[in-house]
Amino acid sequence: MHPSIAALIAFSDGEANAKQSRRIATHLSRCENCSDRLLLVRSEKDELSAGPAITVRHSRKGLDGVLAAMSNWRKGSAASELRVRLREQIEMYFGSQAVMVVERPGMPAEELLGRTSELLEVFLGPAGAESAIDDAFGGLHPGASEVRR
Amino acid sequence: MRQIDGGGHCIVPRRIMVCLGAYLMVDLLAVYLWSSAGSAFSIQTPSDNTATLPLTAMAGLGLWLCLRVLRAFPAGAPLRRAWSLIAFAAAAQLVWGVLSQLFDSNWVLNSLLWTASAPSTLLGHIRLGALIAGGPVRLAALAGALFAVLRTLRKFGFWGRPRATDWAMCGIVCLFALCRFAEALAAYFAGAQMSMEEWASLAGLPILCMLFVEAIFLGQAVIRMGSGPVSKCWSAFVWGIFSIGFADVALWLIPHYCRSPLGMVESLAGFVTTAVFALGPAYQLTAQRWARTAGAPQENLATHASAVAR
Repeated sequence: MHPSIAALIAFSDGEANAKQSRRIATHLSRCENCSDRLLLVRSEKDELSAGPAITVRHSRKGLDGVLAAMSNWRKGSAASELRVRLREQIEMYFGSQAVMVVERPGMPAEELLGRTSELLEVFLGPAGAESAIDDAFGGLHPGASEVRR
Repeated sequence: MRQIDGGGHCIVPRRIMVCLGAYLMVDLLAVYLWSSAGSAFSIQTPSDNTATLPLTAMAGLGLWLCLRVLRAFPAGAPLRRAWSLIAFAAAAQLVWGVLSQLFDSNWVLNSLLWTASAPSTLLGHIRLGALIAGGPVRLAALAGALFAVLRTLRKFGFWGRPRATDWAMCGIVCLFALCRFAEALAAYFAGAQMSMEEWASLAGLPILCMLFVEAIFLGQAVIRMGSGPVSKCWSAFVWGIFSIGFADVALWLIPHYCRSPLGMVESLAGFVTTAVFALGPAYQLTAQRWARTAGAPQENLATHASAVAR
């Protein structure tokens, strides 16, 4: 009787008991088919063992990807927070309806910053505008300063 | 981002509103008493004198606020010219207040009455100077300023089409100007001699019509902004122009249709207009203070707030 694949795996891993191991070894010496199956099990086992090594070999690229994604997420989050703060500045000095006039749908944070700065500079003067924009950036994630640049 | 304590910073506009409210209540009470007493006594002469100091003081406050606002706009700033013209208009209003109210009335602070009897020609010149300063000169400066402001507002998209009611109000003022011109022409062709004061008064009417048109466009721009201090500033100018126009119409209509203390109404209208115009730079200064406080270091915030309150 041919041993099951589970028994072959256990034999290959050395987890079968002594009596079962002896019986499988006797069978393998006579059965070429089961010997081939055992070789297949061992090769698959080797491939599985080699899998993490391949991942490790390419892990640098994976980490960079994760870091880049995190950076992008942070930038996006900072830009979103900056947009909210710029809206608040416009609302505070001009009124809530002014936000709808200044900000067009889908306008990037950089453009909104430019328009808000210009609006504040014209109506409050350069010093007042600078203070107001500094206030908008106060305590914001460092990624937002890239938007300002 | 810091939260601004709006109450502490709006102290100047609030005080102007309180003064305006108190003045209105006292004047309306006086008119009520006068009408209740069956017009038995005259309140024309005393009202001229009692109006002198508050009106001139309010004009002075308006000029001082304009000069404070102007400091925030360096040379080359887009609204520098507009605020310079507004400050010039406020100065013209103060000159009008000083000349017409202080030197052209029989009250104790009139220095012309201390020395000798003032010659009538000098008083005539003073009256004419006051009329020109407070009339065409001031209105022209305001019209120039509002034109610059409207151009800037349009650039930023704060532009709206006036409503039918706006055009109706504008039409009333234009009709009033036409009536005044028709009256003057009828008097001229009837052989009546027109004084320089009348010419000066008439010269301001076309500018007033132009100001009304500007005011209705500015009003639409303010509606598109909302209710921040900057929009309240320009809103105050809109109401100031409306109050000039309607005061002129009222002062022209009152003698035609009813008996009422004209001197008191005139002084009341003058004070209301001056106070409303002073609200403009007061709100602008509030906005500038908010910005400065927002940019101030955290530890100095309490000190700055108390300084502003003082």
